[in-house]
Amino acid sequence: MNGVHDFGGMDGLGPIDYETNEPVFHAEWERRVFALTLAMGCTGAWNLDMSRHARERTPPAEYLAASYYEIWLSGLERLLDETGLLSRAELDARVAALRAAAD
Amino acid sequence: MRILLAKDTPALLRKGSTARVAAEVPAKFAPGDRVIVRNFHPHGHTRAPRYIRCKPGIIDRDHGVFAFPDAHAHGKGPCPQHVYSVRFAARDVWGDDASPRDAIYIDLWDDYLDPAG
Repeated sequence: MNGVHDFGGMDGLGPIDYETNEPVFHAEWERRVFALTLAMGCTGAWNLDMSRHARERTPPAEYLAASYYEIWLSGLERLLDETGLLSRAELDARVAALRAAAD
Repeated sequence: MRILLAKDTPALLRKGSTARVAAEVPAKFAPGDRVIVRNFHPHGHTRAPRYIRCKPGIIDRDHGVFAFPDAHAHGKGPCPQHVYSVRFAARDVWGDDASPRDAIYIDLWDDYLDPAG
């Protein structure tokens, strides 16, 4: 698909920020998203190419504003919903419950 | 459904995984062949970047046989085929402002390529 993920050759996106001694993860949630993606990939419910395609189907405006692991999370949530393992409604309800408990 | 247990994770990560497919598939091209990337705009997944479509290149080397992402991403099986490192002169891609000495190498599957006429 000719999506926003395919931005090779596009101008105006600004410089690439290089970090010296870049850590593998910048926050604990990134470590969790990586682990969740790997663990769910091992179920065999989808393959690597399906997970790449799920990430690139993140809505364009959301994709461009998202960080690397935010895009991974977006792709994982899409696959969970599409395979029926965890529906968007179930996920939203759980997030709302956790948010309410935290308030 | 397979479940990944914590105790099995280190061994799995050490082993890694590959999209390489152990299948005897004839190669459509050989190093040195002139090719042109097909003009195609699929609604599904592809690993052929937009900016390289319709551009002429030369097969640099044959990586072997791999699953074809355009099929594999849509549950159509691995559709195994050869993947090549294809060399594109920067000027053929970006025009006369590009350096005549620069080149881009892109890994491309057999089905992305036509022989250059």
